[in-house]
Amino acid sequence: MGVTVLQPFPVLDNRTGPQTIDFLTKRVMALGAVQSGQFLVDCDTYVSTPSLPPQRTVHVVHNSEHPASVFAVLENGPKTVPLVADGLFDLLMLKIKNIYPKKQPKIESKGPRFELADFCIKLGSVTISQNFKGVLVEVEYRPCVVAGYCSGLMREFLQGFLGSCVQGLPPYLQNRMEEIYQPINTVEQYLEHFAIYRKPAGFAM
Amino acid sequence: MESKDWGSMSQLVTTPLEQITTALNIIPNQEYLLQGSVLDNAVEVLLHRLRGLCDNVDTSPEPFYDHEMCFTIMSMESGTQPQPLSLRVRRATDYPDMPFQLRYIGVPEGTGNNARPTIVRSSIDIGTSSTIVEFLTELGCRLDFEYVARGYMFRKGRMKITVSKIFKLNNNGKPPDATEPISQSYLVELSVLAPSGQDAIAEDMRNFAEQLRPLVVLDKIDVKRIPMSMS
Repeated sequence: MGVTVLQPFPVLDNRTGPQTIDFLTKRVMALGAVQSGQFLVDCDTYVSTPSLPPQRTVHVVHNSEHPASVFAVLENGPKTVPLVADGLFDLLMLKIKNIYPKKQPKIESKGPRFELADFCIKLGSVTISQNFKGVLVEVEYRPCVVAGYCSGLMREFLQGFLGSCVQGLPPYLQNRMEEIYQPINTVEQYLEHFAIYRKPAGFAM
Repeated sequence: MESKDWGSMSQLVTTPLEQITTALNIIPNQEYLLQGSVLDNAVEVLLHRLRGLCDNVDTSPEPFYDHEMCFTIMSMESGTQPQPLSLRVRRATDYPDMPFQLRYIGVPEGTGNNARPTIVRSSIDIGTSSTIVEFLTELGCRLDFEYVARGYMFRKGRMKITVSKIFKLNNNGKPPDATEPISQSYLVELSVLAPSGQDAIAEDMRNFAEQLRPLVVLDKIDVKRIPMSMS
């Protein structure tokens, strides 16, 4: 587990989602990356009933990179509380489904997973109930857990195969340059991007 | 080879929630429970007996020093009375780096005139990060009560036996300083966590409880029937 950057990749008008994934696959293969299966990050969102004001939201996220864990992020106004739990946490959400009924359709990012020396690259197609929404590229630099120590290296690597859509490290990491990176940080980055895709108005990237 | 492993793995994780609901019959989600208590001056005899009967005979019994917080949240089902839902958070004060344990405990069955040999209640045990207390508070749960339990844990096959002293927390709420015991006795619990439908284990528990008589009488305790004046 190391510092991970999540980067949206623009889908051009003349390309479909799968074509964009193919295009990026060829690029990372040309760099010498080896495919090692598939990955999946999915998110279910539960919203509290009006009987329990104020309204709160719980995002429950699974990441195939951490198959024994369930990640949950609770939003109560401006306050968010992250939680990492065992797989059985899903059963608990079923128990409180009267208070927190599921509100939004499942959003997920899935696609091929590659390894290239110390890097792990994942090319994800984001879908909301099977509707394609965009492409999210996840790059992990596994030997390092402090973003500040590898920011230049990661920016250069990302620009190397994604091009000019990479301006620098995302603001999420810029705000946490000195912290020890943890799996929940990857989940929080996914949630930030999922929130943009969920916005009904217009195209997000 | 590795990619093949990953392929099968991704098959496994494609639908975590569906996986877990289909696996329900192998998840240990039923707790079989018998309870009792012994006076402080009799506890050494009981511990001695347990040391002889239980699996960890050659090692000393496992001590624990836990802080438990009990939360409730009202479960609204349309057209019915709101039901309180109980969630407990337990942490080892002597091992602060260990995961916290979150437990859902259902309504106990088997008390009263019911023919079941032990109390049976549904139970979900979940290891979590230390943010669970804040998570539950923000979720809308209310802290009902909390206490510190200090004692020993024994094992006998699938059975777990705990002998513990319950302490109040002092005003500053810092558990490791808690010194005021709630009573002059120890709580004794015999429990098994098993998948549903394994009622045979309840008979084993009854037999084991029989071997501890008359040092301690383990029985189905209906918490609701204990007079409140005891507190």
